[in-house]
Amino acid sequence: MLKTEELRINIGPQHPSTHGVFRMLVTVDGETLVDLKPVFGYLHRNHEQLGEVNSYLQNMPFTDRLDYFNSMINNHAYARSVEMLAGIEVPERAQYIRVIMDELSRILNHATALGFMLGDMGAWQTALLWGLREREKILDLFEYVSGARMMCNYARFGGVARDIDDYFITETRKLMDGLPHYFDDFEGLLTNSEIMLARARNIGVLPKELALSYSVTGPVLRASGVPYDIRRAEPYAVYDRFDFDIPVGTVGDVYDRFLVRIAEMRQAYRILEQAFQQLPEAGGGHINPKVKQQSLKPPIGEAYARVESPKGELGFYLVSDGTGNAYRYKVRAPSFINLTALADMCKGYKLADAMVILGSIDIVMGEVDR
Amino acid sequence: MVETFQQTFGAPLWLAVVLASGLKVTLILVGGSLGMMFLTWYERRAIAYMQDRRGPNRVGPQGSLQPIAEAIKTMTKEDTTPLEADRVVHFLAPVVMLAATVLTFAIIPWGNLFPSDLSVGVLFFVAIGGLHTLGMLMAGWGSNNKFALLGGMRGVAQMVSYEIPQVMAVIPIVLMTGTMSMQRIVESQSGFGGLGWNVFTPVGFFAFALFFVASLAEGERTPFDIPEADSEIVAGYMTEYTGMKFAVFYLANYMTNLAICFITASIFLGGGNGPGVNELGGFLGGFLSLIYFFIKALFLFFIMVLIRATVPRLRVDQLMGFAWKFLLPLVLVNILSSALWVAIIRWDQQAQIFTQWFGAPGTADAPNFVRLGVAVAVTIMINLGALVMVMGLNNRASQARMHTTDEELALGL
Repeated sequence: MLKTEELRINIGPQHPSTHGVFRMLVTVDGETLVDLKPVFGYLHRNHEQLGEVNSYLQNMPFTDRLDYFNSMINNHAYARSVEMLAGIEVPERAQYIRVIMDELSRILNHATALGFMLGDMGAWQTALLWGLREREKILDLFEYVSGARMMCNYARFGGVARDIDDYFITETRKLMDGLPHYFDDFEGLLTNSEIMLARARNIGVLPKELALSYSVTGPVLRASGVPYDIRRAEPYAVYDRFDFDIPVGTVGDVYDRFLVRIAEMRQAYRILEQAFQQLPEAGGGHINPKVKQQSLKPPIGEAYARVESPKGELGFYLVSDGTGNAYRYKVRAPSFINLTALADMCKGYKLADAMVILGSIDIVMGEVDR
Repeated sequence: MVETFQQTFGAPLWLAVVLASGLKVTLILVGGSLGMMFLTWYERRAIAYMQDRRGPNRVGPQGSLQPIAEAIKTMTKEDTTPLEADRVVHFLAPVVMLAATVLTFAIIPWGNLFPSDLSVGVLFFVAIGGLHTLGMLMAGWGSNNKFALLGGMRGVAQMVSYEIPQVMAVIPIVLMTGTMSMQRIVESQSGFGGLGWNVFTPVGFFAFALFFVASLAEGERTPFDIPEADSEIVAGYMTEYTGMKFAVFYLANYMTNLAICFITASIFLGGGNGPGVNELGGFLGGFLSLIYFFIKALFLFFIMVLIRATVPRLRVDQLMGFAWKFLLPLVLVNILSSALWVAIIRWDQQAQIFTQWFGAPGTADAPNFVRLGVAVAVTIMINLGALVMVMGLNNRASQARMHTTDEELALGL
């Protein structure tokens, strides 16, 4: 035998496929990955401290910057946590609007996330650009309703900033007419491709027990076979009124995560259809007019509210001391927690697999580093 | 061309040879780089169309002058060398790459217009094709960068695996035509009104498919673009190159692809042969053959683009498994069936040999079409049987691997 030597490589912080400024300190033996150490914190910008200095409403636009793909869902989660803290009622119509935005975000997020994952796998951007095309249409809707494409800043305590009108509804229905076709196209592109199967099946396996002990959530956990979805486990907003399935995987490999995300996009479409059917009957305005948005002073106490973000359980923990800004503000970011399982998922596979596994976790560094 | 210089301009022989080869080399160098420029534009526009984008469409009509703008950009960029790099090797690597690539253009039969005849053309192609691996390894080693080193190593491993199926995929054609000269191989396909291409025989079709797949690996095209896998090892062996040196790598890469398309078109798709070429004859026929040749090569390049826009990249171990466990057995079986093909088609000659050796009665010479039918049936059966068998074996192997993983999962490992 030739004497060989292990090679330590820094993948990142500047690297085409680390999804932002993320560093993987990788030890490889030839092409086989021996050890992986995730290093992050390059994007730290004092989010939680800022949340304690700002007033409650001032912090809303900062939550946009956490997971910048799903600012709608971040807003929703933060607003829910403040509402829980201050005991604010949310009108039904506002709940429905929030659900519609959440599910549009979910489609947007999964489409791009899968595109990026396939891009990491080496499919030259076709899947990614198809995803970005759909994202673009949804972002146009967001822009129409909130005034901004990505940093929506849409939710308010007790509702949402603006009501949706007929134009938004017809445009969304128009978009939704094309969605099933898009899902089929996207699935038909690579799902049964021999190369895709070779690259994704049995790669990055995360067994159920390990996933649970890492407290991984979202599609990554569901792909490992745990049917845990906060929309079902602890129904918030009006999710208990919809009929939808929770797709789960069997093995917990990259391929399962791919399939689970596609299935979740289809379920999001189902929820959207039902939400639009039920929307006209929903009472109340788009916002609770009694809430003082600017000078909100919740009573002393604490609250933890969570929603099912496309990446997992997104929770906001708030402690109030009765003043205009939070005493303690903590974000439970799903990307960050899911990322901790990366090293165990990658060990023993090839260097090329590490990128695909990272892509299959679907992280956004804005949320990981806060 | 030498004669033209001698007769028309009255140049002495040595001057004519120098002038003729100088002209040819200049044509190839200029044409190759212009062709490469066109190809980059073509690829980007085609992929953009597949991805609902517009692609480069600003510089010149339909953006066709985009490559020129980019050439100017790369030429004006700073040329850097890493501090710890092996400067000589680092400098020479792109040169070696480009030289190896340009040499392959020497044997391409450009329709009937510029015949170039090398009696061992096919051998020359595979020999030179292996040479640019050296450039890759030099770049990987000389850059003193871990990504570059990984890329160079991957490149060498890939080439070592793929040269063998690629060489062996051509052997059936050499057997059938009895020559290694590209010009002769093209000429041998001029039957049936210009449509007697090798790809229309079962053996030729299998050889074409195998050769093209192996050539994708040689040209570092998706799904085999492992040495420069941009999502894994940044840019592979090219990571530490900037400006013109990077452009030279790029140029070499696309010229290799162009050469592969031309050579595949000549060996399997009849080169410049097509309906009407023989009938027209002369300069016009030659021109038509050149057009046919370019259309075929561009069609092959379009397939490359289509593959690149669709499928993901294979992993390096999977790639080698594919080469050794899938391509190689099929290529070997194809050689066998091509031998049978030759034996059956030329049965009358064999019959004489049998009579001479064994004193067997000279068999009745069966009519041509019967022999052809038997040959087609036998070779299709052998090749398809081999394909099914190899696929089955590979599937069983991969399923077995999956099964163990499931068991491990059940144990909670």
